[in-house]
This record gives sequence, C-alpha cells and structure tokens, in this order.
Amino acid sequence: MGRALAIVRGVALLGLSPREVRVEATSSPGLPVLRLVGLPDAAVREAGDRVRAAITRHGLRWPGERLVVNLAPADLPKVGSAFDLPLAVAVLAATGQVPVEVAAGCWACGELGLDGSVRPVAGQLPLVAGAGQLGAQRLLVPAAAAAEAALVSGPELLPVADLGEVVELLTGRRRPRHVAPLTVRSTAPGPDLAELRGQPLARRAVELAAVGGHHLLLSGPPGCGKSMLADRLPGILPELSTDQALEVAALHSVASLRSPDQPLERRPPLRAPQQVVSAAALVGGGSGVPRPGEVSLAHHGVLVLDELLEIPRPVLDALRQPLERGEVVLTRSRARVSYPARVLLVAATNPCPCGFLGDPRRSCTCRPDRVERYRARLSGPLLDRLDLQVSLRPLDHRDLLDAPTGEPSAVVADRVAAARQLATERSGPGALNRDAPTPQLRRRTDASALTGLAGALQRVGGSARAFDRTLRVARTIADLAGDEIIRGAHVEEAVAYRLPAIRGAA
Amino acid sequence: MTTVVMDALTDACQPITAPGSDPELVAALVAWAVRPRRTLEAVRRVLAAGPAPDTDSHGARLRSHVLPQLDPDDLRAARAPVEQWRRHGCRVAIVGDPGYPARLGDGWPHTDGPVLLVSLGVLATSVPTVAVVGSRSATSYGIGIAAWLAEAAGAAGAHVLSGGAVGIDAAAHRAALGTRGGTSVVLGCGHDIAYPRGHARPGGLFDAVRAQGGALLSEQFPQVPPRAGVVRARNRIVAGLADVVVVVEGSSRSGALLTATTASDRGRPVLAVPGDVRAPGSVAPNRLLAEGGHPCTEPQDLLDALGTSRSDPGGDPDTDRPLSVLPASVHAALAAAWPRALSVDLLLERAGLGAGAVLSALTRAQVAGEVVEGPDGLVLCRKPGGADTPRESGRHGS
Ligand SMILES: [Zn+2]
Repeated sequence: MGRALAIVRGVALLGLSPREVRVEATSSPGLPVLRLVGLPDAAVREAGDRVRAAITRHGLRWPGERLVVNLAPADLPKVGSAFDLPLAVAVLAATGQVPVEVAAGCWACGELGLDGSVRPVAGQLPLVAGAGQLGAQRLLVPAAAAAEAALVSGPELLPVADLGEVVELLTGRRRPRHVAPLTVRSTAPGPDLAELRGQPLARRAVELAAVGGHHLLLSGPPGCGKSMLADRLPGILPELSTDQALEVAALHSVASLRSPDQPLERRPPLRAPQQVVSAAALVGGGSGVPRPGEVSLAHHGVLVLDELLEIPRPVLDALRQPLERGEVVLTRSRARVSYPARVLLVAATNPCPCGFLGDPRRSCTCRPDRVERYRARLSGPLLDRLDLQVSLRPLDHRDLLDAPTGEPSAVVADRVAAARQLATERSGPGALNRDAPTPQLRRRTDASALTGLAGALQRVGGSARAFDRTLRVARTIADLAGDEIIRGAHVEEAVAYRLPAIRGAA
Repeated sequence: MTTVVMDALTDACQPITAPGSDPELVAALVAWAVRPRRTLEAVRRVLAAGPAPDTDSHGARLRSHVLPQLDPDDLRAARAPVEQWRRHGCRVAIVGDPGYPARLGDGWPHTDGPVLLVSLGVLATSVPTVAVVGSRSATSYGIGIAAWLAEAAGAAGAHVLSGGAVGIDAAAHRAALGTRGGTSVVLGCGHDIAYPRGHARPGGLFDAVRAQGGALLSEQFPQVPPRAGVVRARNRIVAGLADVVVVVEGSSRSGALLTATTASDRGRPVLAVPGDVRAPGSVAPNRLLAEGGHPCTEPQDLLDALGTSRSDPGGDPDTDRPLSVLPASVHAALAAAWPRALSVDLLLERAGLGAGAVLSALTRAQVAGEVVEGPDGLVLCRKPGGADTPRESGRHGS
C-alpha cells in the first residue's frame, strides 16, 4: 500500500522556453492532508484543492494518509493551472491507482475541472511543444487540445477528456485514440491594395517595408488612408513558414488569444491596439510570469500604432529595445523572461495637433509653435528607427476620379517575394535587410554612393545612426531593382524617405 | 560603472557624429585624446609601426587600441568638448569612414591624416580641389595673384581650400566665394576659437564661407589655441585634401613650404608662383621651383595640373543659372505649379516616372538647393525661367 515515490513530469514556461518540472508525490501515515512544496504560486496551491475535488468526484480514491507533493526544481517559478494534470497523475500513482512505473514515463499538462474533466490552459501549445523539446516520450494532453498538439512532432500523445480516461489509459484498459492534426490555413484573401486609388508614394513605401522589414511612418490628416494601407500590409508579406506560424500561435496561446481548435494561420499577424496606455500592454508584463505584449503578439507580422504622438513617451521608449533586438526581455524578481518580437512597425500620425496641416481642403488651426512642439515629440531615437517616412495627402474628388486603380496585392506580393529571395541568398532564410550587417552592406555599395550618402545626410541633418539604416533601405531598393550593388540612385531614394520628418522636427 | 558612463557619452556623441561613423568610437577617441598627454597622433604612429593589419577596418584597430585604456574620469572629461561641438553644430568623422574625405584618409595610418576630422558644414569631395597657400604678410602682388588663381579655379568648378589666415589664404577664399566651385577653410585651432578675429566675427569671412555652402574643418578640440605647432599641423590637412597645391608667397620658414612638401610626398602636383627675387616672400616659391616644382604663371597652369578645362562652364552659357538636376518631366511639372507647391503624389502622376526615379532626383535637387519641401509639398527654390517652361500646359486645379 503506497509508500512508493511517484514521479510525473510537467512543463513550466519562461517566456516561450520550456523547463522540465518533476512532480513527485509520496504518501505517509498521518492525517489526510495534502502538502505542496517547491514554491508554487497561489494558482498552483489551489490546484491541490482542485485535484482533490476532481479525484473524489470521479469515484477515484483519495488516500486516508498524509500526502506530500514536491514540484522540483524549487527555484523555478511555476504558475497557472497546467500542473493540475501531472499533480493528479502523481497522486493517483502514489496511491497505487495507476502503476508508478507507467506514470514515471509520462509527461502531462492540463487543467482540471472540479468534475474531473481535463481542459486546455493558456499557453497549451508552447507547453506541448516544450515537452517535445525536453524529450518527452508520452504526453497526456487535454482531448480538446489534441489536434493542436499533433502539429508538434515528438511525443506520443495520450488525449484525455477526464480523469477516468487517464486511469484507463495508464492501466492499459484502453488504447489511446487517434488524433488528426489541425489544418494549416493558407492565407485567406484579406483587404486588397487594388481597392486603394492613387497614393503612389505611400504604396511604394509600403512595398519597400514589406521587402526589407523597415519600419514605416505614415503622416497625414484623418481619412487619408493610413490605416487602409497598414491593413493591407500582411497581404503582401510572404506567408509564414510552419515553424513561424507555430511560434505566432504559441504566443497567442500564452495570451489566451487563440483556442486550441483554431486552424494554424499562415497569414502574418496584424495587431493594431487602440489607445496604447501602458508599457506592459505594448511590450509585455504583469505579475507572476509576464504576459507577452502587443509587440510580441505581432511577432513575424505587423504592429500598427495609430496616433503615435498621443502615446505617452515612456511607453514609446519601452519600444526601443524590442525594435532593436527583435525580442522583449522582461526581468522579474523570480525570473528573466523573453518573448520574440520581430515586427514591422507601422506608425501613423497626424501632421499637426488639429490634423489638417498641408490639407488643401481644410485649413490648419494650429499655432506654429504648437506644431513644432508636436513634431518635436517624434524626434530622437524612435524617429531614427522609422526608416520609411512618408506624408499622405487626402485626394480631392477630381484627383480620385483621375487616379489609376491600384495594383492588386497579389502582383505586389510576387515582387516582394522575388526581392526577398535576394536577401535570403545573401544572409540565409528569413533574413531581412532591416538587420543586414554593416560590413556586408558597405562592401556591396558603390564607393561614390557611400560618400554621397554621408554628404546628403549631413546636409539634411541626419544622425550618425541614420547612415547604416538608410543604407539598409537602399539595399532593399536595389533588391527590388534586381541590382547586386547599391548605387547612387538607390541611396538617394532611400534618403528621400527621411527628409520630410527630419525637416519637420528641425 | 564604466559601461553606464560610456553609454551616456555615446548618446551625447550621437548628434555630433558624422553620418557613417560610429558614435561609440567617436566617444572613445574623444575620451582618449581629451587628456593632454595622450594624442591621437600618437595612436596613429603606434598603429603605423605595428604589423600589417589583418583587417581593413581602421575603426576596429582604433577601438582595440583605445577602448581598453579608458577610465571613467576620461569619459567624464570628454563631456565638455562633445557639448561644445554640439552647440556649434560640428560633426566629427573618423578616418576611413564615409563622412571622412577619402583623399585625406588615403594610406592611413602610414600617411598622417588626423584620426578625427571635425567639420562645420560639408566639404565637397566629389569635385577637384585646389589648395592656394602662402604667407600672412603678403604683398599686393601675392594677394592679386592668389585671387586671380582662386577665382579662375572656382569658376572652372574646382573647390578652393586654404587655411583661413590673413594674407594669401584670405585672398584665395574671398575670390572663390560665389564661384561654382566654392571654398572651404581648414582651421589652425579649435572651432570655438575666434581666430583670426576679423574672419571669425559675425558676418566675417568664415560666415560668408558657411553661407556659400563651404565647410570649416579642424582636427583640434574646442579651446585649443592657434599655437605654432597646431598651425603647422593644419598644413598637412590642407595638403592631404588637395589634388593640387599652389604656393603663392612665403618666407623660408613659411608653413606653405610644409604644405608643399607634404603634398609632394603624397604624389600630388605642387605649383609655385615665381616671385621677385629681392623680396623675402619669394623665398619659398622660388626654392620650390628650384627643387622641381611647376611654375604657375597664369590660371591655365593650375587648371592644366588639375586636369580641368576652363572651357567647361558647367551651366547654361546664356544665364549663370546652373542646369537642373531634375529629369525634364519632373522639372516641367514643378515649374508649371510654381510658385505653388506640388505634393509628391501629384508630382509622381504628372511626371509619368516611377516613384524611385522621382524620389532619387528630388533628393539630389534638395541637396543641391534646387527644390525645398514644405508641409504642402515640393517647390522650386527659384522662379523657373525662360521659354523652355510651359506656362499653361499640365496646370491642374482651380
Ligand atoms: Zn493643425
């Protein structure tokens, strides 16, 4: 009777990186209490109560003895309800209701209902993927998340709907059911660039952004089509690879933004948070293990920040690190957590506080000094990182009728893919010109274009940081032209995307 | 501790770093040289004496030499010069970087170009450059010849360089002001030292040079006075930047001789204007002639040495308006809208060219001062003239 040490393995997540957690249970003579050790947080402590209720409600036996359950290693933060299932299995093994040696070969992650049902948790997908990475052979997963789990190659899946099924599977009275993996959805048609008339400058900038991953600043009065352009950007980006789609789904899973029965999406994500007020919402945070922010939810996709200048400065400053490094690092007392955050930032702003500066239809009512102060808020490090800066003007009705119908997204997407292929050949799959290394850039630049760039930037008041960033845009322009060498004209066009805002902020 | 201070100094160096240079390395080099006993010239000599570089990056070699030896006090002391440069609007370029004149950095560290070049304004590097140098105590003969040569060189499109001193230097700068080639000054002191006072006062020669698009260059830190050694060191920069050096007048101890020697060491042609054999100011040019310098007896001698023909007017011969750098259809669209501005989008549609071609041309035109961009679009800086501009065709709007 009892006395054996039962071990089941679970997974804790630090950001998206998994850590093995050993759930050890043993029973000993004493009052029938459950003691949990190993720094479990409140949610895990409640797990004890949930497990006890679930086991007894399901007609299984709760021992009349003292139970000690240890979650090891102790220094790892363990949060959330994903340890319910390994805890229950460990208790069942420690009390002889499933064989200890079978339990010892199992990993488990899932939440228990009071009725003994097994349900998916937030972050179910990265937990399952993590178990696979950590070498799990057999994995107990909630039946509702089994199809999603089957996307991840690795462990043999044991889908379970409730604790009764757990016991039947682990005692060999039932065979695991077959699981068909989720479908992977190829891009469904979204809004199309053909619906936009005119705006040739902005269209060019959007295309360059899609090729090189350069961050974009769209400035213009309300109603000039800033958000329409941004919404169409994912449609001209290449589809995500399966690995990228899984990574995006994992982040959305952690944030409880996807349910495990949703197909895997190949279209790059578009996040357009309204009224960003806190750094935590933008880059991630929160108590316990931090939640990914919008910049991570837009990983491999597009982050749209409308009314950029209405966002408080400290919130914007929090964006510098992720834009520079492609990841967010959040340090908490108990853990250092990182989430990937490779995004294409599309920032939109009005040209002035009232919004109508430069609008031929309405006159701006702002005092000139207020316009300057408004634009000055854009200056500095963030502005330097917005490599493609264009002003949009509203088209008046006559222009709108004259303006040619826009090129469809599919045509633009083909050009984008062809140009991206050149970056891939230089620097490997997934490489973006946004991150191109300086020596490689300069080596493939016409010498007179280099000095021309230094001179042009100095004359327009560009910063030192702007040099290499402008050269990266020129690289993208050359790629679109199919030119191996960055030439003077490419550099000059790249400088043109810096001129308006530099002058505005000066 | 040191990294925090270093980061702060690097941030402070952002606005003074020339495009293409690394602010962190600028910060490190300034912190190194801010101590009187340590000079950047010494660093150059160490690198030149060392083994052949295994990397072609000057920056990497400078970094590995200087960075490990810095302490927090150096970094703090560097704040003052950085702040002064920022206030003046100076930019600092590192040798070998795109913002540093390639001619001057040629062969470094085996040639003695300065590690840091501080400039106010941008030196024209894509045109031939001629240095016109000579003594401060110039005769009217020397001043007249210097002006004659400089004006002709400037009119032919060459950039005229000199040391900004009184006498020959000033005559050359003044004559080149307003010519096509323009003129720039290499200072023999820090940028904030008003020397020579008459040239540095508001509205003086230096302001005129800046207003005409010329640059003021120096390798010196702020507050370094025009000591004799500093002034002589300046001459090697003048020589390093020039394609041709012409010496107009100078005594036996003239800095102009040093400029000439450095230039000929670098394989650049040196010309000398023959002088009155009785005058002390003729010693330098006549000695150069004796040693094989080319005589310069009229501007064409100088232009021949530059390989530039005087017959290239570089502009419309009928007016002195420079030719447009814009494609014809872009210029026509802007001219039709003048004096109203035209948005880039409308310009793209009316010019009938791709966005890339138009945008690159607009950058060229803005750098050349032909076009400015305001909140409501682009406009030509000058009234489009002549019969070539269609007044009505292509004019849209109400
Ligand atoms: Zn306004």
